[in-house]
Parts: sequence; C-alpha cells; structure tokens
Amino acid sequence: MEYHWNFAFVFRHFDKLAWGIALSLQLALISILIGMVIGLALALAYTDGGRTVRAAVSAYVEIIRNVPLLLLIYLVFYGVPSIGGFAYGPETSFVITLSAYAGAQMVEVFRAGFDAVSKGINDAGKAIGLTPWQRLVHVRLPTVFRIVLPSLSNAYISLFKDTSLASVIAVPELMHGAQWINFNSFRILEVYAVVTPMYLVTGWIILGALRRLERRVVIQRRA
Amino acid sequence: MELALASLPFLWQGLIVTLQVSALVVTGSLAIGLVLGVAAAYGPPIVQWPIRIYSDIIRSIPLLVLIFAVYYGSPTIGLALPAFWAATLALTVFKVAHVIEIVRGAVGSIHNGQTEAGKAIGLTLMQRLNYVIFPQAMRRFLPPWLNSVTDSVKGSALVSLVGVVDLMLSIQQVIGRTYEPMPLYVLGALIYFTINYSLSLLSRRLEARFAYIRE
Amino acid sequence: MMEPLVQVRRLVKRFGATTVLDGVDLDVRKGEVVVVIGASGSGKTTLLRCVNALETYEAGSIRVDGVEIGFRDEANRVRRTERELAAIRSDIGMVFQLFYLFPHLTATENVMLGLRRVRGLAKEEARRVAERWLTRVGLGDRLDYLPAQLSGGQQQRVGIARAVAMEPKVLLLDEITSALDPELVGEVLAVVKGLAREGMTMIVVTHEMTFARDVGTRVVFMDRGRVAVEGSPAEVLTRPIHERLRGFLARIELKEVESTL
Repeated sequence: MEYHWNFAFVFRHFDKLAWGIALSLQLALISILIGMVIGLALALAYTDGGRTVRAAVSAYVEIIRNVPLLLLIYLVFYGVPSIGGFAYGPETSFVITLSAYAGAQMVEVFRAGFDAVSKGINDAGKAIGLTPWQRLVHVRLPTVFRIVLPSLSNAYISLFKDTSLASVIAVPELMHGAQWINFNSFRILEVYAVVTPMYLVTGWIILGALRRLERRVVIQRRA
Repeated sequence: MELALASLPFLWQGLIVTLQVSALVVTGSLAIGLVLGVAAAYGPPIVQWPIRIYSDIIRSIPLLVLIFAVYYGSPTIGLALPAFWAATLALTVFKVAHVIEIVRGAVGSIHNGQTEAGKAIGLTLMQRLNYVIFPQAMRRFLPPWLNSVTDSVKGSALVSLVGVVDLMLSIQQVIGRTYEPMPLYVLGALIYFTINYSLSLLSRRLEARFAYIRE
Repeated sequence: MMEPLVQVRRLVKRFGATTVLDGVDLDVRKGEVVVVIGASGSGKTTLLRCVNALETYEAGSIRVDGVEIGFRDEANRVRRTERELAAIRSDIGMVFQLFYLFPHLTATENVMLGLRRVRGLAKEEARRVAERWLTRVGLGDRLDYLPAQLSGGQQQRVGIARAVAMEPKVLLLDEITSALDPELVGEVLAVVKGLAREGMTMIVVTHEMTFARDVGTRVVFMDRGRVAVEGSPAEVLTRPIHERLRGFLARIELKEVESTL
C-alpha cells in the first residue's frame, strides 16, 4: 500500500482542531447542565405525578429518543424558524437541540434514581415528621444524586461525541474543523489519524476525572 | 401540508434505502458481533484483548468520524467504495462494537456454575452455548440489542451526509424544491418514530415472554 | 383515671378487596408497653402503620393524646393534609424492621435531621442531643459512621436513637429484630428494655416471645384482622385458652427450639 503520509497541513491548521474540541466540550457541558435540570424536573413530575403527567413525560422522552438526532438538529435549525418567523444562530440552535436531547436521557437516569430510593426511606422521613418538601430536599434528592453520579459521566461523554453532528449546520467544533482540513488538503487519513485519538483521549480523561470525583464524594465522609 | 403528503412516493424510495442500510447493518453486526462477543467472553486472553480493544476504541469515537473516515479515506488506500457501501461498512463496524458489549454482558451474567454443570454432563462448547447459555442469556440480550437496532436505524440517517439518498436525504431534497421545511421534518420524524417505537414495543413484549427465568 | 394515650376504636383497613383490619379496638395507657403478636397477615404491622398515618384507614378512629390521626373532621370524614400529618407524626416515633436509615447521612446526621428540620433546633444543639442519644444506645464511638459501615444491630440502634431523640409521646416498634442475625438481637432488645424502664409508652410488634414476657405490660394477640386475645403476658402466653393462639405459640416455640439446635 503506497501512501505518503504528510501531516504538515494538519499541524499548520491544528488551531482549528484545538478550538474545535474546546467548543465541543463547551457545547456538551451546557447541554448536559440544561438537560439535567429538564431531566430532574420531569423525572420528579413523573414519579410524583398522576397519569396525565406521566403520559406527557413519556411522550416527550419517546419522541426524542426514537428520532435521529440529525433530524432533530435540522428541525430546530431550519424548520422552527420557518414557522416561527425568527432566526437564531447555529450554535444556539444546536444547544437547544442537544439540551432537549440530553433532557430526555436525563429523565430516564433520574427516574431510575428516584425509583431506587426505597419507599421505606421515604416512610422513615415521614415517621420523624418531615413534610413532603422536606423529604424531597433532605432525603430523596441527596440519595438520587449519589445513585445517578456514575451514569452522568457516561452521559457527558456520549453527548460530547454527539457534538460532532453540529458540524452539519456549520458550528465550528472539532468535526467541522476536521472536514475543513479534509476538503482543503485531501489529507484525509492524516486528519482522521489525528482527530480519532483526540476523541479517544478526551473521553478517557473525562472518564478518569469523573471516576475520581465519584470516589471523593463517597470517601468524603470517612469512618 | 398537502405538498408534504404529495411527496410521499418520493420519500418512500428514501425509506427503502434507509431500511436496506439498517437491515444490512443489523444482520452484519449481529453475525459478527455474536461470534466476537462469545469469543471475548469465553476465549483465551490472546483472543479477548484485541476484541476488547477494538470495542473500546470504536465505542469512544463518534459515528460520524467513522463514516467520513471510511468514505473519504477508502479511495486513498485504493478501495473505491461507492457511498452506500462505504457508509454501510462504517455503520456495521460501529455497531459490531456495541453488539460485542451486549453479548459479553448477557453471556457473562450467566453464572459459571451453569457452564460447569454443562461440562459435567459431557456437553461440548457448542452444545453448552446452544442449550444452556444462550437460552438464559436471551433475557439479558434482547432488550439492549433491540435498543441497538433502534440506534442503527437512527444512525442510518447519517449516510445522507455522504450522499446516499435515504429517507433523510429525500426529505432534504423535497424541502429543496418546496421550501417548506417544517411539515416534511415532522413527517420524517413520524416515520422514524413509528419504526423505532414499534421496535421498542416489541422489545417490551419479548421481555415479558422471557420473564419465566427467575433472577 | 386518665384517658388512654392511644385509643383505637373499630378500626377498619382494606387493601383493595382484602380487609386487613376488621374492627380493631385497643387502648394504650401512658407508660405501658403493649406487645402485639400474631401470624403474618393478621394485620399487626398494618395496625402500627395506621397509628402514625403511614397508612390511611377506611373506618373507625385512632386518637393519640386526644388527636384524631386520620381525619381533620371526623363527622364529615375530611382527611388530614400531608402537612398536618407531618406535624402529628413528629410526636409519634417509629422504628422499622429494615432500619431505613438515610444512606447519605452519618449516624449523627441521621438523628440530627428530625431535630433540626422538624423540632427547629440549631445545628450545634441538635448535634449535642444526637450524640447524647447515640451514646445512650451504645454507639458513642461510631458517631460519624455511615450506615453502610455499621452492622445490622448498630444500624437498628441508630434507628431507635433517631426515633427517640424526637421525644415522641408513643414509640412504635415494627418487628425491629426480625431482620437481624441472632447474635445482634440482644443488644437491640437491651436498649428497648432500658427505654421501657424509663417509662416510654410503646407499641411493639414482635416475634420475640422472651421480650414479650420480660418487658410487656400487656400482650395482644391478633388474628385475621381483629384483637382475639388480650391480657397480661402471663395470662396470654403461659396459659393460652384461645385455640388459634395456642397453635400460633406452638409454632413459634418450635422455631425457637430449632434455632437453639
């Protein structure tokens, strides 16, 4: 196989990739934070609510999770402005889309968390006279957060990978930078040989950092 | 909205391509993933390690990277793959990694004692897999696998980005002519939703069927 | 003669089509230790859970210190709101079979939670009170341990401290030793005996017959949702007349004999 590797172009324009990955991480972070708020609120509504509320939350989750993310991105960026009469930039549009997407994932995560808080612990809270609000704040939420922490790291990494789709609406994140280099140099193998490890290493670093955070939260109260 | 509905025959062509890609990816990844997954669960370390490395790496990169890398990269190594096959190959490579993990998880959850009991009555590896392991692993395998089938269908939408005229690209093309994005996106969402939601309902039905196995 | 602290009258509780409590009458006077025994399904745990409103009841009444538990307006059967119930529950203590300690809080913090959020004590004072109670139940050296780091018996003693620190008018104990390994039962029962000696009013659901004999002032045998036999420990346990009670005791004694083998 005769191929002359030439990384010069890639390295000369590495800044595109560097800024790109920074943007990817940012987009993922904003989306997961908003997504967590949405997810927690909807999961709580689902756990404590009646049949109509549960149906509404399920509908939201099922729709978002059964439709390709690509379609959702186009729908929000091209479709909504056309009937709304307003316009927004690609980055705003993408954050809205990914936040809604993350929100649907977070509903599942938090719902499992709430289910795992046994009825017994809630009863114990009742038995010492805590009001429903007090039980939520002092008993249920702290327990839920400790239960869902491991899932959160996986969710963030997954969303980080999903930011690659922002490139289709010209958001200058990592994938977009890679394709720019690709089209302007035809050094395809080189650019993907650089970008692939960038995704890999970033993912591992995030995983490691969050694992350490997990252990600290538990060990924090030691014997 | 009538314009949208009038374009249905055109979308139908795209849907067929989507289903073709999905079917190829699902069957290909199942066949290869099953073999590799079992190998990773039961094989010697020298077999386990490459498979697990493959699985870990592929699952850590975005699907888009794989598709673009295969599509744009294949000519440079002398393999002129048409878009359809390049994208399908990339998607299959991606899903194999996930199927490997699902198989490993399902098969690995079966207690060692089952294998030993099977060995004790003289069953070969294939027999143990067929009569002891797989029937029990089914319960842990089917729900996540059907979930991954849904992911394959959703992932197939990315082939539109390398020019394959699937449902996604057909939608784009119709919008290009009618300038009415919203009705078509909604219609497209409905179609994808119908396919995937039916799969998840099937998954729940099957889960109930296999519930006879006590935990 | 003062009114009984806890008065249960014609209590009826249904779960769907099953009637679990079929007209229960019970009085508990201040300082009494009433031990409730019976086979599973006889309704004893449900009775307890009705007293501190963890379960609602369909008919009848429960009064604790004169306050009707389930209904704000008895005549019109207007049920109490959750806020009203929270206030009522703060004066009734319960210890659970499966402990249900708050897993994210240390032993001290488990006891402090009610003191701070319900009784309104300041943090430092709550801590002092909590540590005092934990020391009383023998856990003075485990104050900052998480539930996961404690044995079953230790967890249950934290559960008792958590309930008693609230200085309840009556303490409800729901089979608190059933989930414990036999070696750990003694330490928990010792704590409860201490509380009884100090005059804590208690309703105890248990299988531990020795406990009933040692500490109970009155024993109640429940059968099929009703109080079938009531009397002093000697009357009920040593010379049982009631047929089903005899059968129940025989089975329990068999198990006790088996467990010493």
